[in-house]
Amino acid sequence: MTQMREPTFLILTSLAGGPRHGYGITQEVATLSAGRVSLLPGTLYTALDRLTAQRLVEPDREEVVDGRLRRYYRLTAAGLDALTVETGRLRQLATVAETRLRALRPRTA
Amino acid sequence: MSLAHQYRRLLLAYPRAYRRERGPEILGLLLDSAPPGRTRPTLREAADLVRGGLRCRLGRPASRTVGVWAVLTALICGLFTAALAARLAWETSRPQPDRAEFTAVFTEAFPGHRLSDDVSTAPALFVYYNQPLRLSQWRGLVLGDGGEYQEGSASGSASGPMPTPPDRTLTTAVRRLEADGWQVSEPTSTVLRTCDAASCRQAGEPVETVLVARRGDTVLRATFNDPDTYGSYLSVEVQRTTPPAVVPAAALAGLVGGALAWLAFGWASRRTDGRRGVPLLLGITLVLWWTPAVLATPSLVGHHLDEPHPSWHPLWEWLGQPALSLFFLVGLAGAATLSTIALVPRREPHPLTLSPG
Repeated sequence: MTQMREPTFLILTSLAGGPRHGYGITQEVATLSAGRVSLLPGTLYTALDRLTAQRLVEPDREEVVDGRLRRYYRLTAAGLDALTVETGRLRQLATVAETRLRALRPRTA
Repeated sequence: MSLAHQYRRLLLAYPRAYRRERGPEILGLLLDSAPPGRTRPTLREAADLVRGGLRCRLGRPASRTVGVWAVLTALICGLFTAALAARLAWETSRPQPDRAEFTAVFTEAFPGHRLSDDVSTAPALFVYYNQPLRLSQWRGLVLGDGGEYQEGSASGSASGPMPTPPDRTLTTAVRRLEADGWQVSEPTSTVLRTCDAASCRQAGEPVETVLVARRGDTVLRATFNDPDTYGSYLSVEVQRTTPPAVVPAAALAGLVGGALAWLAFGWASRRTDGRRGVPLLLGITLVLWWTPAVLATPSLVGHHLDEPHPSWHPLWEWLGQPALSLFFLVGLAGAATLSTIALVPRREPHPLTLSPG
């Protein structure tokens, strides 16, 4: 699998907490990214279609609230694996960067 | 118009089947996300929905390259449509100059020079071997001689010895043409390489000087040559410029053709998802369509830079047509095959189904 883009990583992370509908995903992504990433509906559904085609995400259930249809999505086992791998990759990169920065600080101090 | 109604209009960017299945869900999200008091979609929302809808029309949601293929297809189809419209719009032009008009222009520009009797005129705006193109000539047109289809012109050459020195002839021509309302471009000179031998270089290669001028819808191109090499020291060509209707007609047709090609590509892409051989056939088709354009464009750019062009060469020549029309026709057969594959009924992809977790 190619390297995951940040919005995809955030969508999968938001679903790791349990099934969510579109509005729930956008809210959670905004929270996870401290407001830096705001997903618009067109972008979100393009990503959800792609993740569904890649079998990383699947529909969970539907409900109607105030006359508005909400469809919930959940992570599949493959989606969980992909998120785990990507998290490990980012952690490893962050660890390397932290090590370099720690080594740099005494010299620049 | 309510906000929901405006969102529904933007959702028209998505294919109908997708709208039927996911429209209420996306609309729900849009309305949930809208702050109180919003009466119309923001520009960012509108652009995002249109972009998402256009991407959705291409199908193959997991593909990262389908958009590139769609752009290449829409672009070349738009260009072909524009070229066709340009050719049709050329029919608004006056006929190519006749013998009387040519003689008048020649006499006006080159007084005292004798025009030879063999003035040739074009029987049509565009000619194939100086004859109107006929359907019976399709074989030659397709199999290598397509480059002979070009704009007609009236042409002739001076006979006898040059009555005045070349520099004076050129200066007089420029002065007289400008006085008669012609816009004259700076003459260009090129040293012709007639042979590679050292003796040729010592003797001096012939120099070709070209004078180009335009008045209204007519262009004059006078070429001063070495009479020993070319039989005449001066050849003159007069033809029509691109009519004003060509550019707007081509631009409009190009946009419409490109948009329709995008929709057709999306339709075929969605209906052929998962069918083997389709990407390969599309790749071959696009190579056949793009190759002539990629080959022709640099050569025409060089040609345009080499000498003044009051009127650009027609759009189809930039697309390598009809010089390489065989490529176009084989590509067309590829596109027709792809459309036929898309037309063959298939099991619809699974609708979005819910399964208990």
